[in-house]
Amino acid sequence: MYKLHIPIMQTEPTCVIRLFDNAYIPFAPDNSDYQAYLKWVAEGGVPISAEEQA
Amino acid sequence: MAYGTVQADVIGTSVAGSNLGAGNASIMKNRIINGAMVIDQRNAGASVTNAATTAYTLDRFQYYASQASKFTIQQNAGSVTPPVGFSNYVGITSLSAYTPSAGEQFIFGQMIEGFNTSDLQFGTANAKTVTLSFWVRSSLTGTFGASLINAAYNRSYPFSYTISAANTWQQISVTIAGDTTGTWIGSTNGVGIRLYFSLGCGSTSQGTANAWVAAEKETVTGETQIVGTNGATFYVTGVQLEVGSSATGYEYRQYGTELALCQRYYETYQAGYNAGGNYSTSGSQGFAMYFKVTKRATPTMAIVSGTATVSNAVAGNAGGTVAINNQPNSVSNGGDLYVTGATGLVAGNAGLFLPSTLIISYSAEL
Repeated sequence: MYKLHIPIMQTEPTCVIRLFDNAYIPFAPDNSDYQAYLKWVAEGGVPISAEEQA
Repeated sequence: MAYGTVQADVIGTSVAGSNLGAGNASIMKNRIINGAMVIDQRNAGASVTNAATTAYTLDRFQYYASQASKFTIQQNAGSVTPPVGFSNYVGITSLSAYTPSAGEQFIFGQMIEGFNTSDLQFGTANAKTVTLSFWVRSSLTGTFGASLINAAYNRSYPFSYTISAANTWQQISVTIAGDTTGTWIGSTNGVGIRLYFSLGCGSTSQGTANAWVAAEKETVTGETQIVGTNGATFYVTGVQLEVGSSATGYEYRQYGTELALCQRYYETYQAGYNAGGNYSTSGSQGFAMYFKVTKRATPTMAIVSGTATVSNAVAGNAGGTVAINNQPNSVSNGGDLYVTGATGLVAGNAGLFLPSTLIISYSAEL
């Protein structure tokens, strides 16, 4: 499960939090964790919005 | 081979049992990083029980497991004497007697970055022959499986090797003619070649040994499966993948060089450092973070353990324990670390970041 994250001083999500280990995954195409997140989304996964409680 | 003898791509040296590889390949000839299993940044020699997913263990080495809790992985597990010339190995121990279903996989290996394999010219008529060598020791004997696979998982070379004596180190050498077809990533930071040792895979992942196939095959038909025997052990070290048709002596690297190679993919920021910073708004601060080694890609940041505090560098008052909020604006060689929850601080004053027990990891693994 993932949660979108809006960093301090930002207005839009620039990373996603992987909730099982609270890792901050940047929206970087070469990052393999981000690629795994995109695969999860493509398979129907929906991240928790930045405003919701996990 | 005799001193001075030239045989295709191998040159004999005056040192018994030691040969030079093709051309100047004696320098950085090994495409495997941490093949001697020296570096273990994540676990520092502690045992890890597998999760039902992909995870890295000793540096650069990754397992994939369809089921959790089927094996442990540990640097120097069992404390056996490593092969002559080596000080470390990775030890995998089966925790049950499990038979993988058709689609299940239990594998261990390394993905090599495209920048380090592009000269092999796989996928072209000029594909080079490579030789994989490694030391292996198992409580089981028989035919085992492994494979080279491309990034897209549609080109594989499953191969077998035989362990003939239980609980005895044995050096294996496998020569593979490079793949002249298929799509292989060139000089990029993507996956160049996957090397997987099978610990036990279902029939879907099994293929005919010693031939390239346009499919994903992690192992060979009829393999001996480590996960199939409770307590079975599988130890490996001295993993080397090099150009040429013969295995040459293992390329030992200085510790600092090997560590730096590993840190392109994973490093930690640990207690003992103070980083200057500036307040953004009261209670939150941003600090510049610089990685020891430029990463393969913009990394994932995670809190491994511990906590950090901040203090007001101007007034000298402590700001208390803070939460690590994120690292926006990251690039491959650094980023901004933001913290929240500081108290008693003044916006506009410089601050100090005191990672007293904090350990942060930055991962840019393939």
